[in-house]
Amino acid sequence: MMGDTVAAVATAPGRAGLAVVRVSGGEAREIGRRLGLGELEPRRASVRELTSPADGEVLDRVVATLFPGPGSYTGEDVLEISCHGGALAPQLVLDAALEAGARRAEPGEFTRRAFLNDRMDLLQVEATEDLIDATSEAAHRAAVEQLGGGLSERVGELRERLVRLRALVSYDIDFPGEDDGPVDPAEVEEAAAALEEELSALLEHAPEGEMLREGALAVVAGRPNVGKSSLFNALLGDDRAIVTEEPGTTRDAIEAVVSLSGYPFRLVDTAGLREDADRIEGMGIEVARGYLERADLVLFCAEAGRELEGAERDFLRERAGDGGLVPVRTKADLADGSGAEDGTERAGVEWTRVSARTGAGLGGLRERLVGRVYAGVRGRGETPLVTRRRQARALEAAREEVGRFREARRRGLPPEVAVTHVQEAGRHLEEVLGIVDTEEILGEVFSSFCIGK
Amino acid sequence: MTASDGDHRFDVIVVGGGHAGCEAANAAARLGADTLLVTGYLSRVGQMSCNPAVGGVAKGTVAREVDALGGIMGRAADRTCLHFRMLNRSKGPAVWAPRAQCDRGLYPRAVRSLLEERRGLAMYQGMVSSLILEGGRVRGVECTDDSRFRGRNVVLATGTFLRGAMKMGTDRSISGGRAGDAPSLELAEQLLDLDLEVGRFKTGTPPRVDGRTVDRGALERQEGDHEGRISHWEERRGPGSRPCWITWAGPEARAVVEENLERSAMYGGAIGSKGPRYCPSIEDKVVKFPDTERHQVFLEPEGLETRELYVNGLATSLPPDVQRRFLRRVPGLEEARMTQPGYAIEYDYFPPEQLDRTLRLEPLPGMYFAGQINGTTGYEEAAAQGVVAGINAALDAAGREPWVPARDEAYIGVLVDDLVTKGVDEPYRLFTSRAEFRLLLRQDNCLQRLGTRAAELGLLTDEERRTLEDHLEDVERARAWAEDYSPEPESVNGYLEEAGTSTVDQKRPLEELAARPQVSLTEIAARDGSMESPPVSEEALTVVEMEIKYAGYIEKERERARRLKEREEMELPPDADYGEMESLSTESREKLERVRPETLGQAGRIPGVSPADLQSLLVEVKKRRG
Repeated sequence: MMGDTVAAVATAPGRAGLAVVRVSGGEAREIGRRLGLGELEPRRASVRELTSPADGEVLDRVVATLFPGPGSYTGEDVLEISCHGGALAPQLVLDAALEAGARRAEPGEFTRRAFLNDRMDLLQVEATEDLIDATSEAAHRAAVEQLGGGLSERVGELRERLVRLRALVSYDIDFPGEDDGPVDPAEVEEAAAALEEELSALLEHAPEGEMLREGALAVVAGRPNVGKSSLFNALLGDDRAIVTEEPGTTRDAIEAVVSLSGYPFRLVDTAGLREDADRIEGMGIEVARGYLERADLVLFCAEAGRELEGAERDFLRERAGDGGLVPVRTKADLADGSGAEDGTERAGVEWTRVSARTGAGLGGLRERLVGRVYAGVRGRGETPLVTRRRQARALEAAREEVGRFREARRRGLPPEVAVTHVQEAGRHLEEVLGIVDTEEILGEVFSSFCIGK
Repeated sequence: MTASDGDHRFDVIVVGGGHAGCEAANAAARLGADTLLVTGYLSRVGQMSCNPAVGGVAKGTVAREVDALGGIMGRAADRTCLHFRMLNRSKGPAVWAPRAQCDRGLYPRAVRSLLEERRGLAMYQGMVSSLILEGGRVRGVECTDDSRFRGRNVVLATGTFLRGAMKMGTDRSISGGRAGDAPSLELAEQLLDLDLEVGRFKTGTPPRVDGRTVDRGALERQEGDHEGRISHWEERRGPGSRPCWITWAGPEARAVVEENLERSAMYGGAIGSKGPRYCPSIEDKVVKFPDTERHQVFLEPEGLETRELYVNGLATSLPPDVQRRFLRRVPGLEEARMTQPGYAIEYDYFPPEQLDRTLRLEPLPGMYFAGQINGTTGYEEAAAQGVVAGINAALDAAGREPWVPARDEAYIGVLVDDLVTKGVDEPYRLFTSRAEFRLLLRQDNCLQRLGTRAAELGLLTDEERRTLEDHLEDVERARAWAEDYSPEPESVNGYLEEAGTSTVDQKRPLEELAARPQVSLTEIAARDGSMESPPVSEEALTVVEMEIKYAGYIEKERERARRLKEREEMELPPDADYGEMESLSTESREKLERVRPETLGQAGRIPGVSPADLQSLLVEVKKRRG
């Protein structure tokens, strides 16, 4: 897999001023020579004519930069060729590089090489992908933070502390009757308790961290013609262009990715669909059931100033305790706006009044939505964010093992037995960082990478 | 034996009669190899050059493993034991650690007599001056008295004798391998010419004192356990019993050391090499642990017929006058007369990455290294290597497959693998923490783990094989008893209550009761007369109890070991050219070239070889195999 030299177009296809072809591997320098780029001064952008290795024909005027390993992105010699963009130029340059001896890179292969050459740990690899995929400022910020090593450092530190905890127990086993006497059991318990707590703190915002990557799923629900589509469009604002009708999901709903106050949401509207679209039976409330189950937020819409119907009341009652419920009074500009609508406020329903037409109340709704799912991310302070299921699973497993360690000690199991849990916890953290070699984990991480990265 | 043995060719020649050499010679002879042991003084075989004790944490388990393989150490320790203790009793049975204080004078005699029991083992008193090298391999040895012995394989177990130099203070350096013994210089010179990598370590001993001048009233007395032994094979008792004594070196003694630091060989510049961190001299303790107020001093009896005491904990390279002075500052030793000063010793060792897992020196066919020459410290560590080198030298001579215990099979396996894979940067000592399968490698199940293999290899005598079979059957019976027998509630409830666990209101199988952390199977069996008594030995019960009590944990370790097995068994080509494998980092390539691992698992343990490198290595190897 490694060892040979690979090449790919690192920029997205399409009409563009520039494109970058990236070449990485032991042959990168030589391939540059074969492309007529001559000797390149390391880390110095040089304007060159790039020629075909076959017939010497000039293919493009390019800017070529050589990054010698191991201080490069992949840790190997890397040649980056900025050529002209568009459909043809990058392809010709890539073909020439392939002809000059490179192999076409697989998706994510550059980053994989960076990982295998210890230029990044697994968390940074994931952050790289997140950075590319980020659709909101908050997700972008989290990715940059993770790429910078924030989470790696934190997990690395926790791992070191697990090692120290293990050493503390092992010291007692291997050195009975030393000058310092036995280790105070309270010291061990304190260290373990602190570790468990800190793992919990890391995990606390993991669900939101995951949401930050995918966008919180916000489903607009309500009776027909209560103004769901208008609200949907109003929330989308200028982002309307990114409404996607993805095949397979459009049967039930329209989904749009939108950044509200810098935080990502996947907004779902079922309006405008076929009459026989999936409805909650007998309730007359339009919302795709599949979405409702998975929704992080349900924007329940009813016109301002209107008495709720039985089915609507039932819906509200059923979800009264659900943190995801956001009741919205629409068409606020048409109502007189006089206080109590129908007594549901007294039952604890907090309505947000909005008008899609005038924009009144939309800002407040946005804040409310962000506050509902991202409050923790906002207020987490220095705690790095866990953004992936994989990370959360392993951290969770580590926390459980630390808990089992404490439990084993309480039950009076001997230290050498109890401490196996600490060992196990350490392995889980190594898994987070990608220190243990599990091909499975690597597969999972790299499966979604794009070519050229 | 004639001075020059003519055309006779031994299968195995062992050079050095310390703990490594004796075990190597014994193991080789047990396998039927025509074996010769050459050593400086036959009366000093198995000499205890440091403290007069065998065992300790991890070490005691190794001593029992060596014993399970037919070794000498356990039997010699039992026969000369003055004081036996099972250490770590307050922890779980997985880390219990037998230790025997032995009679220093009697121990070598026991070793010699055990060696003489071996048919096919010849001994010769002499200093080996050189190896006979012909055609790129070792063909035998030559002694300073001009005798020559030809042999197929040679095990070098020369301990600290290679250019050994003893130091006391900054101006006294005595050439020698041990107090009273000459060093080996010629042989060392020849080895240096072989273009091997060589390093230098130091180790040290404490002073000894005349027990008649010690104020026992000021000391804490430590008695031995009433029972316990190391060997699996015989129930020989020691010649008598002697207590150990504990005292503490406090600020007064520390002050003397501190004031005289520059007169210490180690701190005054006379010794530059590295010593064991885990066995520090008193100078080290004072310098490196400035906040520790007092250091434990453990006075060990030297023998039954002498009152001399070994002052464990105060190893030093200070000059004798300073040693006398700090001794007098230790409570109980105020009037003590020093009988022998402590000293540090510097010696050559050969970085063990040059060996393969059978402890064969890769660059020189026919040559095996065992013991301190490989950079280890400790009798048990030496003995373990002796067994591995002896067995494999004999197997090789007989054209048989080598034998290397795995890391989940024995501490011996951990030790050898650590040495040849990771090398040493200070004298290597075993700890339970070095084993990743600590719960499997217990002192109670050495026979389970190694006995059958020992029998298959041919290491055991007929009598030992019968003992082994009896023991294995015993364990089976104990297991069946624990599984099948459910005592009446009234016969166990008294004990359960006493042990601080809930009582039972109906008959429960013993297995279930023993799973509780507080409950001991052996105790249950011993306590209640109304119970059906177990038809088995206590040793067997201990094994079964352990397996019941920590069943889930033990199974998890076994599972982990199984998962690693595939990689452990994936062999790397012996002629692999790592320099050519461009997908590996430069560091890895160098490390792999240096260690030349035999399996992928071993490669993974080389420091600096990352999991990523391991995957690349796997790909490269597969690619080259086609």
